[in-house]
Amino acid sequence: MKKNVCRKIIGGLSLTSAMFVFQACYGTPQDFGLDLLVEGQVKAKASGLPIQGIKVSVAGNVQYEITDENGKFSFYTEMLEDLTLKFQDVDSTQNGLFHDKDTLLTERSDKIYLDITLDEK
Amino acid sequence: MIATLKKHAFKAYKKSAIRKHELNYLFWECTTKCNLNCLHCGSDCAKDSAFEDMPIEDFLKAVDTIQNIPKNFTVVFTGGEPLIRNDIEICGRELRKRGFKWSLVTNGHLYNKQRHISLLNAGIGALTISFDGLQESHNWLRNNTHSFTTVLKAIELATSSNRINFDVVTCVNQKNFAELEQIKQLLISKNVKAWRLFTIIPIGRAVNNPDLHITDAQFLALMEFIKINRKTKEIDMKFSCEGYVGRYELDVRDSNFFCRAGINIGSVLIDGSISACPNIDRAFSQGNIYTHNFYEIWHNKFQAFRNREWTKIGQCKSCKDYDDCQGNGFHNWHGEHTNVLVCHNEKIENAIKHQKR
Repeated sequence: MKKNVCRKIIGGLSLTSAMFVFQACYGTPQDFGLDLLVEGQVKAKASGLPIQGIKVSVAGNVQYEITDENGKFSFYTEMLEDLTLKFQDVDSTQNGLFHDKDTLLTERSDKIYLDITLDEK
Repeated sequence: MIATLKKHAFKAYKKSAIRKHELNYLFWECTTKCNLNCLHCGSDCAKDSAFEDMPIEDFLKAVDTIQNIPKNFTVVFTGGEPLIRNDIEICGRELRKRGFKWSLVTNGHLYNKQRHISLLNAGIGALTISFDGLQESHNWLRNNTHSFTTVLKAIELATSSNRINFDVVTCVNQKNFAELEQIKQLLISKNVKAWRLFTIIPIGRAVNNPDLHITDAQFLALMEFIKINRKTKEIDMKFSCEGYVGRYELDVRDSNFFCRAGINIGSVLIDGSISACPNIDRAFSQGNIYTHNFYEIWHNKFQAFRNREWTKIGQCKSCKDYDDCQGNGFHNWHGEHTNVLVCHNEKIENAIKHQKR
């Protein structure tokens, strides 16, 4: 701990704080971004059964994932002030017909678990 | 006065980092298969279809031996072309479960929208794409007539995400040297924020192709180009950490030269060898994950990386800059290890002398 502090002081003195943010010649930059893991399960409101084939996407972002046979989804996405998740039935009558739903995430954590229910059409 | 102080402080920092020997950055050469046949293959990465891809479980077993993992420990997938593997995302998610960050170096050919999304979903945090010139010169080096268009699309995708810390790398050579300003403008127009330039080290197929290497005068001009452009801040331009550049240190990159291979940078190579950057002579391998505990090797070996006194031979022996340079980038020691392959500082000084004549 003490050694770490010394190292940082010396680094600061040499006015090259970037030395702590190195990258290998042929490597990538380091990742100092923030993201969160969004996981959950989508079920039918009436039956309580998991729904496969629901598109779970981040509003204003290209990212999405399709729920698996257990209605589950899991992905990392950028940590934002306002994060809205969209749940859309995109496979027509396959796996049933459900109304879309938007959910605004207000909790700020690096991991969020959501239980989502969708109304049948 | 300030410069001298800074220099001494940096030396002290460097000593302490070497002593600490903290593993911050781990390359995984997850495949040596590649979808391109670049003219400089074997210089910064190699293509060899003789090796089977290493199973994820084998790599993770090695990673799981690491103790006292620093907060920003990163795994960098490299190759060959890592996107040839369709299980990168599975490995990425496993790394994130363990609390690690991960990133990828790619030629961009397989980086399409679907892959962009699946990599983001799996928690990628940083990305580097190779882009080596305008249409003709890029396609020439990449030995592929569609490469320029394909890679530009990949760059557009990468810059569309705020999540990814993204940069472009360019191998400066005879064919693209006169285009650097145009390449810069093109990258800026594609919203690229960071651009790293490097030269091609004469190893692999790069040894016998004079078009791949720039002259001393061109190298000096490259330093000036980077120096001037870093002042304008249009794009975060830097010279890679491939070598010590004497009077241009701090003008062309954020920090003084410090080759961290084997000091903070380790690797697991395709055959399980434990080393530092993948372009380093494989004779320097320190062990193998199939026969050794990875972290014990990292912790107890790597002496040739941590103490570089052995590089004080050949032209380095009497060099006045040796303390700052310490034998240049470690990947400049191939073959008999009797002399450094490239001395970047010598190139600069030779060019300046020549100018004065």
